[in-house]
Amino acid sequence: MSNQIFQAAIIASILASTIRLATPLLLAALGELVTERSGVMNLGVEGMMLLSAFTSFMAAYVTGSLWLGVLAAILTGGLMALLMAFMAITLKVEQIVTGMALNLLGAGISLFWLRLMTATAKVDYLIIEIFKPIQIPYLSKLPYVGEILFSQRWLTYFAFLMVPVIWFFLYRTKYGLQIRSVGENPKAVDTKGVNVARLQYAATIFGGMMAGLGGAFLTLAASPRFVPGISGGRGWLAIVIVIAGNWLPWRITLAALIFAFLDAFQLHVQGVGVQIPYQILLALPYVFAIIAMMSSRARSEAPSSLGAPYTRE
Amino acid sequence: MTIPEKASKLKQWQITPRAQNSRLWRIFSVILAFLAALMISSFLLLTARINLASAFGALFFGAFGSWRAFMDTLARSSPLILTGLAATIAFRAKVWNIGGEGQLIGGAMAGFLAFTLFSGLPKPLFFLLVLLFAFAGGALLGALSGVLKVRFNVDEIISTVMMNYIILYFLSFMLSAEGPWREPKSYYQQTVLILPEFRFPVLFPRSEVHLGFLVALFCALIIKILLDATPLGYEIRALGFNPKAMKFKGTNISKLVVVTMLVSGGLAGLAGAGELFGVQDRLVMDIANGLGYTGIIVAMLAGLDPLGVVLAALLFGGLINGAYRLQTVTGVPSAFVDAIQAIVLLCVLASFVLSRYQIRRVVDVESDLSSSDHS
Repeated sequence: MSNQIFQAAIIASILASTIRLATPLLLAALGELVTERSGVMNLGVEGMMLLSAFTSFMAAYVTGSLWLGVLAAILTGGLMALLMAFMAITLKVEQIVTGMALNLLGAGISLFWLRLMTATAKVDYLIIEIFKPIQIPYLSKLPYVGEILFSQRWLTYFAFLMVPVIWFFLYRTKYGLQIRSVGENPKAVDTKGVNVARLQYAATIFGGMMAGLGGAFLTLAASPRFVPGISGGRGWLAIVIVIAGNWLPWRITLAALIFAFLDAFQLHVQGVGVQIPYQILLALPYVFAIIAMMSSRARSEAPSSLGAPYTRE
Repeated sequence: MTIPEKASKLKQWQITPRAQNSRLWRIFSVILAFLAALMISSFLLLTARINLASAFGALFFGAFGSWRAFMDTLARSSPLILTGLAATIAFRAKVWNIGGEGQLIGGAMAGFLAFTLFSGLPKPLFFLLVLLFAFAGGALLGALSGVLKVRFNVDEIISTVMMNYIILYFLSFMLSAEGPWREPKSYYQQTVLILPEFRFPVLFPRSEVHLGFLVALFCALIIKILLDATPLGYEIRALGFNPKAMKFKGTNISKLVVVTMLVSGGLAGLAGAGELFGVQDRLVMDIANGLGYTGIIVAMLAGLDPLGVVLAALLFGGLINGAYRLQTVTGVPSAFVDAIQAIVLLCVLASFVLSRYQIRRVVDVESDLSSSDHS
């Protein structure tokens, strides 16, 4: 009997971690979804998340305000995406390599400034107070479900709230339709007198802001300190999630939850002390990413003009 | 958008696409991009409150200021030549191998395996086997991504990046307390030290320039010939240029992609051998240390030309080397180089636009809508 309660508690704990760990993946993936739907392939998600995680941490550390940290993350993600948009849409440079450049930029600048800060502060590492979980009244008191769904941090609620919002935006609004059309056939949209570049800029910058929020979650809601490379491939997983989710908001949510579950599983198995080398468990999401790509042959919703710069003839 | 001015014969500046890509102009625009990158990087230095002149001075003298510094620069450029070539051959085919980092680790691991197996053999044979294993280690990872692409429709960008993480965790396991390669009783995740007799021979006395540098130069030459003067090289270039035509021609594209990834991965693997047997002298967690990613920048800076890669690698080897002096002299973290590298890449990418267009002064007969497409 007590064993059963113990098991149920562990399962509830794994599921609660799944929801929590899905947050940065979901935020970044939803942003990338909008970007890719407009036909821009931004591979710089990892770099945008990483630098945003850093700037949000630093802003929170210096000012003492977590909300200014959030603002810094949104600005950082947005600015990096603006750079991506300028290179990809205005200069029409190869989008794949530009995305890589953003990743290197995020890694390089965050490491440089981190070393600079720790050298001047003369400490080994800096620590901040992070966001606390918000208990939803009544609901959080429910057995198990309360712990899993209603005792999360606000960014988690926000991320899951964005799923229907983005679905509604993409499928039920004029601008959503235009963005989807630009990704399919920019020429047709252009002929209608709609400014293609402006839509793509907006979609790319929005994607960057969302990736920034995903980065902010890592330092303001998950870990009280910044370590180099804290994003740890989550930006890349977000890109995989968009593909595995076939560019559909609900499926993307499902894919994000599966990846988060693997991560949560790994955390708890380590805690229980199962005899599997933890490095193999840590590699699990990345192995699964490749498997997911192998099995998700259905790319019916992939934007037709993804990654191809649009030039008027 | 410009307002159409009908029936006006104005002289105006016009940006038109270049008919031919001028090589001289291309080189000029890359130099321009590099200078622009240095200027932008200066802003980063200003956030460190450092005197710019002394910072760049330290960077330059640390890289090329003395014989010793120059030798160190050569040593640091060797892995970059190889990872740069790895990116070059793949990108020429528009096969996006982002996995240089992981393939370098794979090469180093295979090289260490060769060390554990063949250390009793005569030295020339031993080194040959080490290089062979290292190439095979990287090639295996590369080819795996190639097969995943052509057989299972897995995007090579995704698979190579994922492989970077997976191989790193694998290395971490091999070097962990339970792993077979961990140095006994060591506090660190590392293997035993490779004794001097098994390290790559040094080319110049009192320097760190090792056999790997020669291997890198040799590979640059081979890849240059391969790309420019062999049927395989022609197919690789054609695949990047016009994959549709290749399909109609009946070329086996699947095989071509796998071969390209195999060679590309193998080159990065060789870099791993050089780092293991010439620089670190033991397998450690940060054996790759970003060299795979820097290779991408080197390749782009070189305009995907194998001999250009050698020059670009020297420049970046110098940057990395100079950064150490920068840190000791001015206290600027050597991570400055990581930031510079990304900025260089962005500027080089932007400079491609320069070489694609030319600005001319033309007599505008009919200033019509055709000139208004740069909105």
